[in-house]
Amino acid sequence: MNALEYAELFLSESRENVTAVNHALLQLERDAEGPGAAACVDAIFRAVHTIKGMAATMGYAVVTELSHELETVLDRARRRELTIDSTIIDILLRGADSLERLVELAVAGRESELNIVSLVADLRSLRPMMVETSEWAIPRLAAANPTGLTVRVRLVPDAPLRSVRAMLIVQAFRKIVDVASTLPPEADLQADRFDGVLTIHSVADAPRDEIERVVRAAGDVESVEFLDGTEPLPPPTALPEPLDVPAAPSSGVRVAPGRGRHVRIDVRRLDKLMNLVGELVVARGRLTQLAGEVGDHALEESVRLSSRLITELRDEITASRMVPVSNVFDRFPRVVRDAARALGKTVEFTVEGRDIELDRSMLDDIADSIVHLLRNAVDHGIETPEQREATGKPPAGSLVLSAMRDRTAIVIRVTDDGRGIDRERVLARAKRDGIVDAAKTELSEDEVLRLLARPGFSTAEQVTEVSGRGVGVDAVYTRVRALGGAMNVRSVPGEGTTMTIRLPLTLAVVRSLLARVADEMYAIPLAHVSETIELTPDIVRTVKGKEVVMARDEIFPLIRMRRLVGLPHYAPASAIDLEQVIVIDLGDRRAGLVIDELTGQEEIVVKQFDAVRDGPPFFGGATLLGDGRPCLIVDVSSLL
Amino acid sequence: MSHTVLICDDAIFMRTMVGDILTQAGFEVVGEAETGVQAVEKYQQLRPDLVTMDIVMPDMGGIDAVREICKLDPNAKILMCSAMGQQALVVEAIQAGAKDFVVKPFQPSRVLEAVQRVLA
Repeated sequence: MNALEYAELFLSESRENVTAVNHALLQLERDAEGPGAAACVDAIFRAVHTIKGMAATMGYAVVTELSHELETVLDRARRRELTIDSTIIDILLRGADSLERLVELAVAGRESELNIVSLVADLRSLRPMMVETSEWAIPRLAAANPTGLTVRVRLVPDAPLRSVRAMLIVQAFRKIVDVASTLPPEADLQADRFDGVLTIHSVADAPRDEIERVVRAAGDVESVEFLDGTEPLPPPTALPEPLDVPAAPSSGVRVAPGRGRHVRIDVRRLDKLMNLVGELVVARGRLTQLAGEVGDHALEESVRLSSRLITELRDEITASRMVPVSNVFDRFPRVVRDAARALGKTVEFTVEGRDIELDRSMLDDIADSIVHLLRNAVDHGIETPEQREATGKPPAGSLVLSAMRDRTAIVIRVTDDGRGIDRERVLARAKRDGIVDAAKTELSEDEVLRLLARPGFSTAEQVTEVSGRGVGVDAVYTRVRALGGAMNVRSVPGEGTTMTIRLPLTLAVVRSLLARVADEMYAIPLAHVSETIELTPDIVRTVKGKEVVMARDEIFPLIRMRRLVGLPHYAPASAIDLEQVIVIDLGDRRAGLVIDELTGQEEIVVKQFDAVRDGPPFFGGATLLGDGRPCLIVDVSSLL
Repeated sequence: MSHTVLICDDAIFMRTMVGDILTQAGFEVVGEAETGVQAVEKYQQLRPDLVTMDIVMPDMGGIDAVREICKLDPNAKILMCSAMGQQALVVEAIQAGAKDFVVKPFQPSRVLEAVQRVLA
């Protein structure tokens, strides 16, 4: 591995450990005296300790220093010399925050930009008074030893843990001859009271060269001297405090294959692989088609085989990109706690479906949006404990973040039991801004979402630190749509709000239904298709001037693709040549999209596409079909 | 024949680094363990010539793992990997039966010296 790869490994592993620290701290905060508290302290200690080890190896001095200070405090807590209270948790949370920023800065070589002086001072204030080291008794041993052997061993000055090394030397010595006494005594060595010079006395004698050999073999020995038994021992010198000095980072470590069953892969490399396999899928489509035209049996057979291999390859790469949402969700308890604290609210936060897997890039892309929704819920949704009690609710608000799999989509929900969205106020505000007709008296849920999603639209009376002024919903809405997902809101005044985000499982390759309208091809992602039906005249009705379809006791609006793209009405070649309806479905909203003809299913590779400014908003991307024709991808959520 | 090694550390970072150092020096890394429990299990399975053992690990720490391994094999050659400030723990590990120690941050030369001492 090269230095950069080590740095990336350091970063990803440190992030995980900081998340673990936050997670355990929050658990500790909820229940500092419970049976799980000791395990929390242990977990925090381990995580900080791991960061320290890695940072020291990388030569990140500030990260090392901070994690060392944290570790010292945690170690005391572990040994129950320190009782965890809210003050200590606050300091530790600050420590976790700084650590989080520091690891990022360290990797960028900008570690020194973060000032940790006051934090370190606070951490040190939690330390005990230093143990006085000047009072221990020094046994006088040499004068009483007219016979036997006295050896003075000097250790290399910069050797690590010299006191432990001295113990190993005594141990090695003992294998040859009994040890009568040592200076400093072994108890002092164990307690790390050692200045680097060890004197060992034995009543029996032993060959000097043998002694010197085993003593030197114990390591870190600078010199071995044999003293005349009558020679007075040197007075003990003033001993320094046990002190750890981080050594310079090791260098010159190079590549060697790892042995574990897991390897870490840069997500960019996976992106590249995914793109390549996407191209391969497209090329396959073209190849299959050409082979069909040639009609050679052996060729078709071989194309079929490579086609199957490509499918397997695609599935494996897709699977390798999937990570459990807990990777990101585990950061959120901290976010909610901080927001709730800042706003004086009490929030019970629950995460459901932590194990649900989502494409790594998508998860990273959606993380900020979820933070927005959570903060909004704490800020605007959940009331203060007093307000809640006044309306007969429990003082602590409930906030649930859940992830679940729904066919080929992932559904993420943020549900609070707060005051709900005040539609009157949204309506009033919209009227004032001239966005809706002044005569309008009621807003549907979709209209509410669409209004909230307008940049800068806010009904919040004050700007708060936590969620700012109406920031969030518009950004979230835009992000979700950019990912090919959909979003909706359901809110009951006084009872709470649920924001639902639906995302496709993966970004790059989308199974789609291909539809022809006149001479153009359109792709409709299968994730949003529930069925297709023939548009026979008997199922069409007109309600309030709008066309609807009645199918299986359901009624939903019709959207004619020809009208959307500005084409004339469909003229069938014969009476049996019916238009088709693709029933598109976003969980709770449905519509029928009318197209000329269904031409099949294909796996399409989404190409980012720059929509024409002020052009139709209902296309989310473009692709090339197997035969090389361009095709626009319908953004289903914009139609509903 | 090269010596076989079992690397025990809860951080992939550290396992990779120790593995790199030892592999380059001609050792054969035959296993890795992330917890003390795994370390004991893998020791029993693999009977490596050398074990590098982190002190702080989840699910049974390194010191208890040393005790357990030494029960299985009193001649087990275990090298403790300690961080700064763990003097007391290293002492405990040595008393439990570990043969030597290295202190993070690892310098390859120090690791190899310690390994030679343990195997000597």
